[in-house]
Amino acid sequence: MPLVIAGRDGGRRVVTAADRAAQALGVRPGMALAQVQARIPGLRIAATDPAADAAALERLAAWALRRYSPVAALDPPDGLIVDVTGAAHLVGGEGALLDDLLSRLRTAKIAARAGLADTLGAAHALARFAPEPVTIAAPGETEAALAPLPIAALRLNADCVDRLRRLGFATIADLAAVPRAPLALRFGPELGRRLDQAFGRCAEPLQPFCPPELIQVRRAFAEPIAALETIARHIEKLAEALCPLLDRRGLGARCLDLIFHRVDGMVQAIRAGTARPVRDAKRLTRLLTDRLETIDPGFGIEAMTLVASLTEPLGWRQGDILGGEAELDVSALIDTLANRLGAKRLYRVSPVESDLPERSVRTVPPLDPPVCALWPEHWPRPSRLLSPPEPVEAVALLPDHPPAHFTWRGVRRHVRRADGPERVVGEWWRSDAERAAVRDYFIVEDESGERFWLFRSGDGEDPASGDLHWYIHGVFA
Amino acid sequence: MTRYAELQVTTHFSFLRGASSVEELFAQAAFFGLAALGITDRHSLAGIVRAHEAAKVTRVRLIVGCRLDLRDGTALLLYPTDHAAYGRLCRLLTLGKARAGKGACDLAWRDIVAHGERLIAVLVPDRPDALCAARLHRLARDFGDRAYLALSFRRRPGDQLRIHELSNMAAQARVATVATGDVLFHSPERRILQDILTCIREGCTIDEAGFRRERYADRHLKRPEEMARLFARWPEAVARSFEIAGRCRFSLDALAYQYPDEVGEPGATAQQILARLTWEGAARRYPEGVPDRVAATLRHELRLIEELGYAPYFLTVHAIVRFARSRGILCQGRGSAANSAVCFVLGITAIDPARSELLFERFVSRERREPPDIDVDFEHERREEVIQWIYDTYGRDRAALCATVIRYRTRGAVRDVGKALGLSEDVTRALASQVWAWSREGVEAKHAAELNLNLADRRLHLTLDLARQLIGTPRHLSMHPGGFVLTRDRLDELVPIEPAAMVGRAVIEWDKDDIDALGFMKVDVLGLGMLGCLRRAFDLLEEHKGLKLDLAAISADDPETYAMIRKADTIGVFQVESRAQMAMLPRLKPRNFYDLVIAVAIVRPGPIQGDMVHPYLRRREGLEPAAYPKPELEKVLGKTLGVPLFQEQAMRIAIECAGFTPGEADQLRRSMATFRHAGGVAQFRDRLIAGMVARGYTRAFAEKIFQQLEGFGSYGFPESHAASFALLAYASSWIKCRHPDAFLAAILNAQPMGFYAPAQLVRDARRHGVAVRPVDINASRWDCTLEAVEGSERHTVRLGLRLVRGLANRDGAALVAARADRQFRSIDDLRQRAAIPLAALERLAEADAFRPSLGLSRREALWAIRALHNEPLPLFAAASTRAGEAVPEISEPAVALRPMTAGREVVEDYRALGLTLRRHPVAFLRRDLAVRGIVPCAEAGLARDGRRLATAGLVLVRQRPGSAKGVLFLTIEDETGVANVIIWPDLFERQRHVILSAGMIAATGRVQREGEVVHVIAQNLTDLSELLRSVGARDETFPPQGGGDPAGQGGGPDPRETPGRKPRNVPMPDSGSGLEIKVPTRDFR
Repeated sequence: MPLVIAGRDGGRRVVTAADRAAQALGVRPGMALAQVQARIPGLRIAATDPAADAAALERLAAWALRRYSPVAALDPPDGLIVDVTGAAHLVGGEGALLDDLLSRLRTAKIAARAGLADTLGAAHALARFAPEPVTIAAPGETEAALAPLPIAALRLNADCVDRLRRLGFATIADLAAVPRAPLALRFGPELGRRLDQAFGRCAEPLQPFCPPELIQVRRAFAEPIAALETIARHIEKLAEALCPLLDRRGLGARCLDLIFHRVDGMVQAIRAGTARPVRDAKRLTRLLTDRLETIDPGFGIEAMTLVASLTEPLGWRQGDILGGEAELDVSALIDTLANRLGAKRLYRVSPVESDLPERSVRTVPPLDPPVCALWPEHWPRPSRLLSPPEPVEAVALLPDHPPAHFTWRGVRRHVRRADGPERVVGEWWRSDAERAAVRDYFIVEDESGERFWLFRSGDGEDPASGDLHWYIHGVFA
Repeated sequence: MTRYAELQVTTHFSFLRGASSVEELFAQAAFFGLAALGITDRHSLAGIVRAHEAAKVTRVRLIVGCRLDLRDGTALLLYPTDHAAYGRLCRLLTLGKARAGKGACDLAWRDIVAHGERLIAVLVPDRPDALCAARLHRLARDFGDRAYLALSFRRRPGDQLRIHELSNMAAQARVATVATGDVLFHSPERRILQDILTCIREGCTIDEAGFRRERYADRHLKRPEEMARLFARWPEAVARSFEIAGRCRFSLDALAYQYPDEVGEPGATAQQILARLTWEGAARRYPEGVPDRVAATLRHELRLIEELGYAPYFLTVHAIVRFARSRGILCQGRGSAANSAVCFVLGITAIDPARSELLFERFVSRERREPPDIDVDFEHERREEVIQWIYDTYGRDRAALCATVIRYRTRGAVRDVGKALGLSEDVTRALASQVWAWSREGVEAKHAAELNLNLADRRLHLTLDLARQLIGTPRHLSMHPGGFVLTRDRLDELVPIEPAAMVGRAVIEWDKDDIDALGFMKVDVLGLGMLGCLRRAFDLLEEHKGLKLDLAAISADDPETYAMIRKADTIGVFQVESRAQMAMLPRLKPRNFYDLVIAVAIVRPGPIQGDMVHPYLRRREGLEPAAYPKPELEKVLGKTLGVPLFQEQAMRIAIECAGFTPGEADQLRRSMATFRHAGGVAQFRDRLIAGMVARGYTRAFAEKIFQQLEGFGSYGFPESHAASFALLAYASSWIKCRHPDAFLAAILNAQPMGFYAPAQLVRDARRHGVAVRPVDINASRWDCTLEAVEGSERHTVRLGLRLVRGLANRDGAALVAARADRQFRSIDDLRQRAAIPLAALERLAEADAFRPSLGLSRREALWAIRALHNEPLPLFAAASTRAGEAVPEISEPAVALRPMTAGREVVEDYRALGLTLRRHPVAFLRRDLAVRGIVPCAEAGLARDGRRLATAGLVLVRQRPGSAKGVLFLTIEDETGVANVIIWPDLFERQRHVILSAGMIAATGRVQREGEVVHVIAQNLTDLSELLRSVGARDETFPPQGGGDPAGQGGGPDPRETPGRKPRNVPMPDSGSGLEIKVPTRDFR
């Protein structure tokens, strides 16, 4: 089945890439997705993920860096530049290098084309526009190799390419034959610069790719340690060593991994997360030592590594020396609680604009920014919501009277006062079952003054709206 | 039995808020036994006339009312108790709308008080708080015993308590309470559609809507018993609804319409002036004496006009037409007015009563007691002058345009519902593209399936379902193109007026049908492109050929003109140019004017549905005798060989054969036109048949006649209208036949109009030997012009700058002005003298306008223009002024540009001008087509009946007439001519996508030959758009050479995509768009 990758271009969904099968059916990037979909039954569509593409490209660059040359660069969105100057002979020459590179990529199921030339611009053009999947322009033959390629190979913006084409320029040779001054007058300096870069008449510096390294510190112990106090002391030292490293890069830790290498070769780890980037040794230490009881030192630990596995920029903040009111920062408390209780157990509730009680609330992380939605005023809601609602036995006059009494969890309660119904209709756009569904909610008070939130499924008139069973959905404080 | 009147009802005239129509609400109210309905749309009385009609049908009383949301947040329902109060309410709304601009209303409490006399005011409260108390006191103070407080259940917590407290609060303020339902729809299941309307209004999806949805439940209409049960504690509030209904005695029936006064002579009545003008006009029309028959008709008409008091109306229309004539604006009355001899002698219409038989009762009737409806066509571009004159003459508070209610049609419904349900724009657009805009069935599941969309997707299903419900719902009010309402008294006391989107226009809240229903006078000031075209042709003829002509001066019954029409050589001609018309003309063989009238009238949905076309054709061809059971029938139907074709004939049959009075006959016609769905026809049917049987016709014959009449009740033409149009059809045919050069120039200058695009018009003219010259910076003016040919009577047509895509009129005019009598010698010269922006120069270069006189190709010109600076350099400008000629800004090495291929030139012609004077694009593909066994269109036209063949061409017209039961007619064109393809519904459904989207199509099928008319009955269709896209790469008619022309990826094959070289896909912007040949197809239904 043909596959396309779809992305958004304003409100339009467009094809950003198509596989060979799709291309054989005439699909090209930039086409409207709906149009393509209409034409090709069974088309598989995947959403574009530029972040993942970029990350994959970086991984490839890191790999090329290790394997082929000390200098590599990214050529986003889909290109990789490797400077093989002085490196090719190590793998048996330029041809062998490209063969090796492409066959390894092929093994990894990555379709690739390669061009090799004196200049970055020429290599870029050959890789993308040469007829053969692998093209090497021998030293000094750049111009000849570039001549038949289309002008789109010159890394010009699309508008410029379009205007050149409309004037009848098709290939780089066409452009190279024209005196430079008239071209510059009409198309600006960019055109000449790109030509010069491709032909090697002006330098084009490369921005080398440098893989983001993990910040980590390691301590090995002459004697294995096992006592919790000793471990804790070393954690403190590791944290103190880590913080200056973070500081130097202006980073704070969001996630810390503390790895224990035991003498028996086993590895144990503690992972601690923070709500905001942190670079305070004391806090980091506390976060890690809080969880220390989960570690079994066995016959002893011979080394510990502390890795800041997730970091975020953390600027310096000047203390308020004038004594103004500092913003109360509860993040330290929240980190402590979350690391003790588990992150999922710590949350805030936030309103959702829905009439259905169970949907009118959602949980959000403790430090999420507040939302502007509010629960409706003047409409009392129980302090405790039962999830799911529990069936009760009740009898009430139809269509809209509250029950006279009801039985919940074996206790029969006589209703003294009641208010209702509050008629809540199903959110029809979510499911067919909700299309006609109606609940009539009543606040009822029993003889002892306890208040309950009951509802009857159905509006009491239309059988499609519910089966008339009664439920309790909440208890008022 | 509880008596209850629902006083707070929102209809769908509260746009995107109410979810039910007035008719649905009244029908439901009648079913529930409600005494009355108070229609309270927001800031609007737009639905009131419909409600009035619905009330008459259902016998549920209408309480006219309106809901206002004031500046301070107060919500108020207002009901006029009498006529004067209604006038004040209209003025209040007019004031608020004028203040707030289109679509809004801005009013304060003091405005309400100022206009509040004899209006009942009902406060719509929210919570019983201090604010509410304050408003209540203000209401009690200013409205006294006309103040009420609305109590409505919301089905939210504390409802009973809230109403209890409100009720107490009202008692304290001495304001009575009234129970209302705050109704938004007639029946509970409309709730879902109402949510969608809210989303459309708020511009959000249903998932985001949250509390923007209606907060309160149970907004449907309820039974009186249910209201009594709900308000058991407040029975007086329920009873009071009835009391208020009783106090509101105002009915729309009370609106008396007043004709505007014409400035007349002192001491003379309108009738006297009309009579004088009539006889003066008659003397002018008939210089050799008014024929007796005409004089008798005039006397009859004048008598009826006097009796009904319509004289001022005739004078008004006469004044408008006289104004237009005084400005040299062509105009002509159409429609039933042409049945009036008075209109003819006054110069409003052009159908001579001496030559045709008129039926005045079709126009004005005693029984109808409705003012006549005169529609006058004016030249399209100059209609605005007439409109402004009307405003100035009658005053803006006495003249306003009617509204047109814009209702959801399929495409809009799918688009908006899809958006509300969160479908992506491309999916909704694709869905919408699968239907014809006028389709009533909505987008169906099969359309979605065709797009390979997942039908199991619930949202998609819901979208189709809800969109179907939404079709027909009003969306907003727009301006009627030319329906004027004129009154003597203030118009804003009859109906609220709102400012229109167009500056200087005011629009009333009611549409044409509402005006009709109330019997207001309306003049339709319509624009007709053909009148503009004819005036341009007359001007050209006068200027270049010294012929002074007008509509009346064209020689009648010109045999050559009729010969041309018989050959269906009528591209561009008024009315008889459509595919269906052109198929009919060779069979009808018109030889005189009346034949043309029939031709105009017969190709209409009515006659086609009533199965009148074929009997007529058979009789005309002498294959079957025209039989008349009774001589009186021959009198009526003789002209049309026994087949009723016109509305007048239907009426005459009723009069002559069934004993109807003329007025009754008109009612019969109207009942067939308007009540076809409501079922008002039955009584007339019985009377007609009984009447005919009583006069000796057989029942079977009578029934057949009735059936035929029914067929064109709504779609048929009155003869008078057909005759008016036939006049224009003849005039335009005559010019096309006798002066094809002037005709071409005039019709190109009058674009857009008619069926055909400039490309076809030019091709057709050249086929008739008209020489056409290209756009030239040194010869073209803005309009297309005629150029004399040395030593010949003939003229060639010079294409005008108006055809150049993207060239502003201002820049074109500046160029012509700067040129004066001195030719431009270079681009620099043009640039410096005309001082128009570079972009305009580029448009001219793209249109190849520098080639004819400067010898610069497109690319050479573009190359030169790109080198120019946006502002001429002052030094050079100064030097040029000194030298008296352009001093080039730069001197630089010459650059040889690759010339365009012939195919590319054609593609660029289409791109920049929409037409080409070079070869037809399909000519470049002929060899490829021949290889595929595809024959030229001309060959298909000559093929014998039944032959199977394939032919191909550019798609010109797609037409699916409602009368043809889903058959689609496709007109395609190649370099040899056009071919007509017929597509049956099953093939259409199978290949819908190709048919609706392809720019070039090959049709394989069987030839069907009917006399000279040839069709290809398609069995299979192939999309050749890809092939068409390759034209740009082709030189002459040979296969592409070398790499082709690079100018457009969409045109030439991408060098990267030649076979054997398949690099992996590189994201490239879609540069193919816009570079292909796009013939604007005309799609009709």
